[in-house]
Amino acid sequence: MDQNKPDSDILNLLETDMNKGFRLVVDRYSTRLYWHIRRLVILHEDADDALQNTFVNAWRNISQFRSESSIYTWLYAIATNEALSLINKRTRNSAVSLDDLGAWFSNSREGSTWFDGDEAQLQLQNAILKLPEKQRIVFNMKYFEDMTYEDMSIILKTSVGALKASYHHAVKKIENILTGI
Amino acid sequence: MKKTDKIQEENPFKVPANYFEELNRKIISSTVEKGDEIRKPGLYLKMRPFLAVAASIALLAILSYAGIRLFSSRNEALSLSSIPFEEYTESILEEIDILTLEENVLLLENPSAEPQTEKKDIIDYLLLENIDINEIQDQL
Repeated sequence: MDQNKPDSDILNLLETDMNKGFRLVVDRYSTRLYWHIRRLVILHEDADDALQNTFVNAWRNISQFRSESSIYTWLYAIATNEALSLINKRTRNSAVSLDDLGAWFSNSREGSTWFDGDEAQLQLQNAILKLPEKQRIVFNMKYFEDMTYEDMSIILKTSVGALKASYHHAVKKIENILTGI
Repeated sequence: MKKTDKIQEENPFKVPANYFEELNRKIISSTVEKGDEIRKPGLYLKMRPFLAVAASIALLAILSYAGIRLFSSRNEALSLSSIPFEEYTESILEEIDILTLEENVLLLENPSAEPQTEKKDIIDYLLLENIDINEIQDQL
């Protein structure tokens, strides 16, 4: 999946008109980045906050963006960092534990409002939440977003080999959880 | 991973109604519409390329000036003997007194010649300076 070519129009527009170029960035990437963040942070309000921060950071640094790199990987790297910093902040401050999504979604009004998956989906999300942080990110990016290992390597600053191994371990763990091993 | 394959395409998470319709407007209002106030770089970073060019030009100018000065002073030293006598005397006339000028003229005309001073002239000069006559006789 070559994500670089479709961004040439954005890069050209950023060169000539920064404001219009950035509007195009937002149009093209806001929804995709929202879902990327949402799968990591689970809660809608957190995803919304992290997404806003992602674009504010992108806007702040857009002048320093080098056109030889990809807008797509650059934005995903910012979004991933924002999601992780929000998760770490929530771990320190929040009384709500999302270790068991099933219990949380059924016992809280907020949970039942923002999740309408069936039992299998709930089990999958619970299994994903039990993965170590890095494996969870890699699994989400590969399984739900079908991202290439090469793009993930740029975003997560990790070698392709390490990412493949990480995804392999994540799949094994999830299979074991779902089959009750 | 058969058990998860069938749920891969489905998205169990929900968002508020019209969330995505409002999302872009919200992002634009907190970024583009706030303008440059939150955007890096500041004036310095914006001007940095121009400052770099200006600094390079200034450095080039200083080096050129120093080079020209060095080159021209060397030329001056090397060609001093070839300067016509009249031009040399005119150029230093305002800077030195007439006695020093006479000495310089003598040196220019005959560089190997040393100034000759009569013993009588030296005694007269020392007496004018209130040196004791006995001491003068001892020294000379």
